[in-house]
Amino acid sequence: MEKILDKKRIDDWIAALDNWDIQGPVLEDDIWSYQPVSGAVRLDHPNTKQSPKGLAFPQREIFFKFEQIKGEAPRLTQVVPDEQRHAVFGVRPCDGRGVPRMDLVFNDHVEDNYYQARRKNVAYVGLACNKPPSANCFCLSVGGSPVSTDGLDVQMTDLGDRYFVKAITETGKGLMAAAGKLFAEPSAADQKQVKQVHAEAVAYPQRAVRNVEEVPAKLKASFKSPLWQELAQACIGCGICTFLCPTCHCFDINDEVQSKAPLKGIRVRTWDNCQFPDFTMHSSGHNPRENTGARLRQRVAHKFQYFPENFGMPQCTGCGRCISECPVGIDIINVVNKVAENAA
Amino acid sequence: MPHNIYLPELARIAYIKDEVYGERAIKTFRVEPVDGELFEHACGQCAMLSIFGRGESMISIASSPLIREYKQFSIMRVGRVSSAFHDLAVGDVIGLRGPYGNSFPIDDWRGKNLYLIGGGCGLAPIWPVITTAVAQRANFKNITVFYGGRTSRDIMYRAELEKLRESIDVHLSIDKAEEGWDGYCGFVPAAVMDKDPVPDNAIAITCGPPIMIKFVIQNLNKLGFKDEQIYTTIENKMKCGLGKCGRCNVGKDYVCVKGPVYSWEELKSLPEEY
Amino acid sequence: MINIQDIRETARDMLTKGEVRAVIGYRRGSRGMLAEPTFITSAEQADELVWDPTCFHNLSLYLVHDRKFLAHIRKNAEAPVAIVAKGCDARSIVVLMQEHYFKREDVYIIGVSCEGTGVLDERKLAKHLNGAQASNVAFDGGDFVFTTAEGEKRLPAREVMADRCLECRIPFPREHNIVFGEDKTGRQLEAPFAALTRFEAQGTGARWDFWSHHFDRCIRCFACRSVCPMCYCDECVVDSITFPVTTETTAEDKANRIRWIERSAVRSENITYLMTRAMHLAGRCTDCGECERACPVNVPIRLLNNKMEREAREQFGFEPGASIGGPSLVASFLDRDPGDFIR
Repeated sequence: MEKILDKKRIDDWIAALDNWDIQGPVLEDDIWSYQPVSGAVRLDHPNTKQSPKGLAFPQREIFFKFEQIKGEAPRLTQVVPDEQRHAVFGVRPCDGRGVPRMDLVFNDHVEDNYYQARRKNVAYVGLACNKPPSANCFCLSVGGSPVSTDGLDVQMTDLGDRYFVKAITETGKGLMAAAGKLFAEPSAADQKQVKQVHAEAVAYPQRAVRNVEEVPAKLKASFKSPLWQELAQACIGCGICTFLCPTCHCFDINDEVQSKAPLKGIRVRTWDNCQFPDFTMHSSGHNPRENTGARLRQRVAHKFQYFPENFGMPQCTGCGRCISECPVGIDIINVVNKVAENAA
Repeated sequence: MPHNIYLPELARIAYIKDEVYGERAIKTFRVEPVDGELFEHACGQCAMLSIFGRGESMISIASSPLIREYKQFSIMRVGRVSSAFHDLAVGDVIGLRGPYGNSFPIDDWRGKNLYLIGGGCGLAPIWPVITTAVAQRANFKNITVFYGGRTSRDIMYRAELEKLRESIDVHLSIDKAEEGWDGYCGFVPAAVMDKDPVPDNAIAITCGPPIMIKFVIQNLNKLGFKDEQIYTTIENKMKCGLGKCGRCNVGKDYVCVKGPVYSWEELKSLPEEY
Repeated sequence: MINIQDIRETARDMLTKGEVRAVIGYRRGSRGMLAEPTFITSAEQADELVWDPTCFHNLSLYLVHDRKFLAHIRKNAEAPVAIVAKGCDARSIVVLMQEHYFKREDVYIIGVSCEGTGVLDERKLAKHLNGAQASNVAFDGGDFVFTTAEGEKRLPAREVMADRCLECRIPFPREHNIVFGEDKTGRQLEAPFAALTRFEAQGTGARWDFWSHHFDRCIRCFACRSVCPMCYCDECVVDSITFPVTTETTAEDKANRIRWIERSAVRSENITYLMTRAMHLAGRCTDCGECERACPVNVPIRLLNNKMEREAREQFGFEPGASIGGPSLVASFLDRDPGDFIR
């Protein structure tokens, strides 16, 4: 389904989406983030600071409550995500491509019921990048594209005063059908223009990971390379790169006690980060990844070697957030290229 | 919502035994279901144990899969959750989810000689193999256990090991000579060499401190054991047990799914990150 | 004006003579115009060094890293480390020495004066450039000169400078072994604590709303703590869920650890995290502003730390990082100290 939507009518479209919580990019405190929007949605954002991954994989997920009176058996009460549907507008193609990668992780081996319960209720309405929104975009070099529809339910393309709107999935068709009257059939000129815009988008120069298909083997051969520690020397071990990443999925599980007697509390999943020094530390004090070099290697190899080995594609979608936001200049493109270049 | 993979079953502590005292004490726990039946498991698999308010910890299941009434865990007191386990009493209720990980391919080992080599707390993960093999004694040829502790007070499952001598060879060792000790004195890798095990038609499993595993494997190689005849288990910090939380990986493998059991041949192909 | 060649010569000379084992400085990174920390150990690398308005980082953090690494491998330093330090950075080094983290002779301070300006605020610049990218920036007196695809763009420094630099009282590294650039202490771009004063002019309700909003936004990536040279504790009180253990840490230590805050990034926990951190920085924070710069979600952390800094100054006349020999704020008292500061 391909349609044309007058830019001025986008708010009417949103208004027609009853029962959907609409999330759109909002500029607040000098940063763009996805927030519930009612009435008006602005799609003139570069990319948001955080990816939309939190809708299916929130930073905090309560699994269950526990309660125990001394001398009695504990009582567990499951906490189940609500059934609210969310439609996220303005998802950039890199973040769209993050979605199937998260799906792979959370459905592999056994299905994660929490992720799945939320994921099935999220629709991703994408916005193609007519030009790279960041100087550190590199989607083309990791198999993506500024006009990729991967992971999206709907793809919108900005044609100046109107959007070219394409349904990618059945969910996407449903979203468009909910406001069918607002959409017009695209003319031959529209079709031509969208092709032109997409061609120009793809032609924009971007930074690049070189020969991404050769990278897994090169990283594998570089496990013991001294370059890792050299490249990670400035790393401060914070969680910016992973928390902002559209595909990082590592988490921690903890009991949070709210009352000691009677014992009351919750078991909670929270985002975690492989760059924290104690992420892999054993109870004995032994740490298989003891320095910043080993931890940077884990982050980079996970994206560019282990994930390709397990799922046949890089996990990185080239959004460039970890590069732009690193306070000390650690640059995943540079790291991958340097290590690959020096591989035995 | 479908099956909640993070929700533990409740299980009651039916039996507690002090195995080893001291700073790194070990206690054995047997847990029974509060309602219905507990899950089935295979030799070498692990379970995620919960003490509500403290958290979870991944522990190897030390009982044989042939035992349905309870699951056994031998837990060393090292951290937040394991310490809380040491404070439990019979009748207390804990949480349990699992089983997680792969298992020893014990069915493939029918008709073979088995060498089971453990040190310290490392007897627990191979105990289900020992007890299952003994229960199915006719399926295997010679079964030999080597097990060592730092001192005679660090030997766990002492009474059970003594009883096993009725049906299999059991060689116990301690690091340094003590009065009244008639077993081997020295480290486990040397104790193994002392008995000169023969690699023909044999499988060796070794679990224990990393340094012990390293030298046991070196010695087994010297004796002519091929890498694919040697098995061990590895452990890494785990939170989910389901290959999702992202911290137990060794290279591309999540140990909680692809491990903990590895042949030395497989393990050698993975990066040293454990 | 600082001539970068002078800094390079100094580094080259010391590395050639073996007087230092490394020079921690700035080099051009791979991300457009931005500088990044570098750790050079040979004279040939000296030409990498740069000095421009993107040299944000307080490199004294890496003296802390070095110290920790040496302790981990149980080695003593064979020679000092040289470090390029701005005024605020040098004051951090002084605080670390006051706290006996390392000795004066362990460090060779290559001071750089911020002269009339300071470092760039990328967020302010983004608004001026309107989507364009700058590939280079240089000091030019009171202006920053940017190279963009559309040509050279000159902006008055004070329009795109970091707030911390506008408010800086002493943009000069008084503690140094060698120093480059003029001492322009006394310049008045903004009054000290200007942002804090503006903030505090609001009523309690407005301030609570402001902080509630920001405490809700913290994602607890711990970048503010990780980037702070003063946050060197091995075991951080605000992150007691996970903490370093050694083979000597007993099971009791681990089991009995109090969880002051939980991992959930929710308001109550975030308040405890950020407020506790601010309290622990009282009399130690030199307002290098790195925490606020690093924060990916723009929590105005400086306001909290500034508040503590101003309390220390107004109540106790204390200036963090003023002198190595002087006592630290919380380890000293004077008869004239006010007794009514705890209410």
